[in-house]
Amino acid sequence: MAEHAATVGVEVEEQFFSAEQQRHVATLGMWVFLATELLLFSGMFLVALVLRVLHPASVTAVALHLKFWIGATNAAVLIVSSFTMSLAIEASKAGLRRAMLRFLVATAALGVLFLCLKAYEYYRDWAEHMMPFLPGRPYVLDGDPASRLFTNLYFIITGLHGLHLTVGICLVLGMAFFGRRAGFLSRHQNRVEVLGLYWHFIDLIWLIVFPTLYLLNR
Amino acid sequence: MSPSDLALRDPVVPEATIARQPDYLHAKQTLSSWFFTTDHKRIGILYLVSITFFFILGAIAAGLIRLSLLVPNGSIFSNDFYDKMFTLHGVIMVWFFLIPSIPNTFGNFLIPLMIGAKDVAFPRLNLMSWYLYMVAALFTLICVVLGGVDTGWTFYTPYSTFYSNSWVLPALIGVVLIGFSSIMTAVNFVVTVHTMRAPGMTWFRMPLFIWSLYATSLIILLATPVLTITLVLLIASRAFGFAVFDPANGGDPVLYQHMFWFYSHPAVYIMVLPGMGVMSELVTAFASKRVFGYRFIAYSSMAIAALSFFVWGHHMFYNGMSESASLTFSILSFTIAVPSAVKVYNWTATIHKGEVRLDTPLLYAMGWIGLFVVGGLTGLFLASLAIDGHVHDTYFVVAHFHYIMVGATVEAFLGALHFWWPKMTGRLYSEAWGRVSAFLTFIGFNVTFFPQFILGYLGMPRRYNTYDPQFQVLNVVSSAGATILAAAYIFPMIYLIYSLFYGERAGPNPWDARGLEWTTTSPPPPHNFETPPIVDFDPYDYPSRAPEGG
Amino acid sequence: MNPQDYTLQLWPGAASGMAHQVDWLIIAFTIVTLFLVVPIFVCFTYWAWKYRRGRNVDRSHRESRNVKIELSWMLIPFAITLVFFVWAARLYDIEQHPPPNAMVVQAIGRQWMWKFQHPGGQWEINDLHVPENTPVLIDMISQDVVHDLYVPALRIQMDTIPGRRTQLWFKADRTGQFLLECAEFCGTDHSEMAGSLIVMTPAAYQAWLAHAGAEPSLAAAGKMLFSSYGCSGCHGPNSTVRAPSLIGLYGHPVPMQGGGVLVADTAYIRDKILDPGKRRIAGYKQVMPRYAGKMPEADLLRIIAYVQSLGQSGGGA
Repeated sequence: MAEHAATVGVEVEEQFFSAEQQRHVATLGMWVFLATELLLFSGMFLVALVLRVLHPASVTAVALHLKFWIGATNAAVLIVSSFTMSLAIEASKAGLRRAMLRFLVATAALGVLFLCLKAYEYYRDWAEHMMPFLPGRPYVLDGDPASRLFTNLYFIITGLHGLHLTVGICLVLGMAFFGRRAGFLSRHQNRVEVLGLYWHFIDLIWLIVFPTLYLLNR
Repeated sequence: MSPSDLALRDPVVPEATIARQPDYLHAKQTLSSWFFTTDHKRIGILYLVSITFFFILGAIAAGLIRLSLLVPNGSIFSNDFYDKMFTLHGVIMVWFFLIPSIPNTFGNFLIPLMIGAKDVAFPRLNLMSWYLYMVAALFTLICVVLGGVDTGWTFYTPYSTFYSNSWVLPALIGVVLIGFSSIMTAVNFVVTVHTMRAPGMTWFRMPLFIWSLYATSLIILLATPVLTITLVLLIASRAFGFAVFDPANGGDPVLYQHMFWFYSHPAVYIMVLPGMGVMSELVTAFASKRVFGYRFIAYSSMAIAALSFFVWGHHMFYNGMSESASLTFSILSFTIAVPSAVKVYNWTATIHKGEVRLDTPLLYAMGWIGLFVVGGLTGLFLASLAIDGHVHDTYFVVAHFHYIMVGATVEAFLGALHFWWPKMTGRLYSEAWGRVSAFLTFIGFNVTFFPQFILGYLGMPRRYNTYDPQFQVLNVVSSAGATILAAAYIFPMIYLIYSLFYGERAGPNPWDARGLEWTTTSPPPPHNFETPPIVDFDPYDYPSRAPEGG
Repeated sequence: MNPQDYTLQLWPGAASGMAHQVDWLIIAFTIVTLFLVVPIFVCFTYWAWKYRRGRNVDRSHRESRNVKIELSWMLIPFAITLVFFVWAARLYDIEQHPPPNAMVVQAIGRQWMWKFQHPGGQWEINDLHVPENTPVLIDMISQDVVHDLYVPALRIQMDTIPGRRTQLWFKADRTGQFLLECAEFCGTDHSEMAGSLIVMTPAAYQAWLAHAGAEPSLAAAGKMLFSSYGCSGCHGPNSTVRAPSLIGLYGHPVPMQGGGVLVADTAYIRDKILDPGKRRIAGYKQVMPRYAGKMPEADLLRIIAYVQSLGQSGGGA
């Protein structure tokens, strides 16, 4: 890439004394926020665990209905997206604005691919009558009331993860949009790094969700 | 000491400074300059106003509860109305007053001032937190307007999910949203304390108020998300029949209780720790003496934060929990009394050989000690397994947690308000009226709540609109006390507002207290300090030896 | 109401050995905590007054830390309170282990009543008769929401949870009538979910058991109410209005409007009487009036019992 490297830095906001401090604040803030997010998901993992202990057979019955290959593919997609995100961060550090934009768009595209696969999975769930919460639609495991709990939890966990991913995609696209302007890297380079933390976190969560829902109970 | 003495003691009111740079209140006067402000001090004021509003609302609900309990047969209000009132009282007081009270008003106002920063780390996030508070408040008000909610603030399943016919959803959404507001503020505080300290402000030079808010923020960060997800599951159950906690499908309502109390017991310390921080400031300032055992008090805040996560089970001794789990939670609950006791003993030692001024804030602090100690020790009674088997879910519990919360939070809130009022507004209030209010708060509170210990031991369960006639005398006493308490809350609102217009102007340091916030003008300029402070002194550096002859 | 109902009472009556033990525990604990806290109150107030500004007192040798003192007032009170942890835990341990020869009473909590069934099959609502000096084990479950069976005179309580059995046991040693309450908030009439624990001599208890069996059943009483409330006008066999028949309803699935199937349990029947518009069944127009607030609990209970008996007579139809 024969790109002229731009200057890299942050514009100091008025409440800070130095750029160093501002970078530290932004990174720490994201880490602290991610700690709360982890706790948020942990609550649901706990419920999943409890259900598995209370009703092992029902949970297995549901897990066998889940689309293992979609979950696995999605895990791979997110791992690749984390890789492109890291490349975007490296590019931003080096001041390679155009390379950074490309990697950001690639990251967002992989995120969208994940969502498409997920939507297809939901469609299959619908077609296979795996949506017990829909009024008036029969539920395939109706003879097994306890299985409803785990099926519902599956939708809540994956739904909440999908919501986080959607927010992530919007942020990545927004970053790419504002990153088009010259001088972005000299003023807001650290935003790319902070966003990267969030993206990796969403990836990490899926790497816990996937075994919790799909793998452990088969 | 009269207010005029105070003003005289600081004759050098830096009029010149005020003229050079307008203070934060006068920097801009438009409405949008308030609603879009990112100044932590203004956001603190916004919180002060909104929190006071909700305090009044919650207090009115409490008044109606006490009114209904004047008679044993429930002839004043219907059971349904009564249930909605105590739920409203609980939801509003817990989430819209107690939890945000000291952190969001005084924390916002004081953290940057105390650590010598220009603002918090994320000023815009700070403003957003206030807006979320208001949106959450809106949902709660909508819930009230639609007809209220009757589940109790604990939202126990399956009553809240499938049996209640009231407006549970808006209330739940309100609580979820205010959880995010709390989290935003806590993120801000943790990052601010970590990164925004002035040069020389090491961890052990921080005021103890900062330590306690730091510990509080850590609890908020780790506990609130669990509540959020629990209530999201509850919302899904109620709105879409997701039924995660529904016993009809094999779900477990006790799991909900565990997850709820995993947040809600630490939440008690979210309410208490800031009050303890305020106490450290008040006691040292009015004893004019270095705090006794700074490190023990600082560490005890962190110890409380850590231990608070391991005691939630004591809310569930009598719901079929295993014996070994009960024993564990019981002993852990005894343990958490240790760091609390250290603080109380240390403050008492701080008073010893001080140069004490019995001004309004110290009177509130003394009320704090009186109420918190009783509340804390009755907490030990409740942590004792066999005693809990008798008084669990009775008025004994109600009295206990009111001693803790009104004691440790409301007394501290009022004490803090009187202590920092000159800093926030630049005005002095009437000292005489302040003392009367502090005294009335203590008396009114005890008359209201002490009889409830007896009621609980006699066996009157909480949340009862109709009760056995043998309990009536004590209930009437309690309701009578509530009217005294109401007066004690109304007085400060009047004379503090009066002081805004007619109070004497305060100097930078009307109490002769130590701490960076007293080195800047009252009220402070928008960016807090004319020149960034450099800290080369220890906290509470009051003269180590008293002047000869006192 | 007797005038003495209004007299001020400061200590609850006790009806079991356990109750006395809990009383001794709390009395001892209170005395010890007074020793721990009164010094704080006295010192704080006295010192605040003694060392007030402007007063000429000796303020030399001020300390701002003393690890030994701090450690001692941290650990000594804790060690003292641990005595009470052990004491309370031992009583709890007794509460957790019912004697094997205990008489078992089944209890069901539901909005808003208690139902107790004696070993001989006799059952009663809200009141519980037990013999004196006999260990009684109450094995309970809730039919709807979380309740809590609480008898202050015995100093014990236990949550009643849907889908999970819980137990408590006691040995009453005094005859008399004592308050029995629900301590966990369970809905609108939570505070009226109360009755009496009646402790009798074993002989009187036996006599009561014999008499209780002779009372007319709930279902029989419900049948009379079924016509007096006008229910039979629509739901009866000769009615002209098109309303679902209730024969064979109880315990069987009902198709719901908009799909789905619900098993007609007591909670469902109760809901349909109180608020018929809420969970509509397929194929019928909603014409039945609401009975919420119009039908006393006792009547509702009897009518439900009657509908329940119709279900059984249907014999799986």
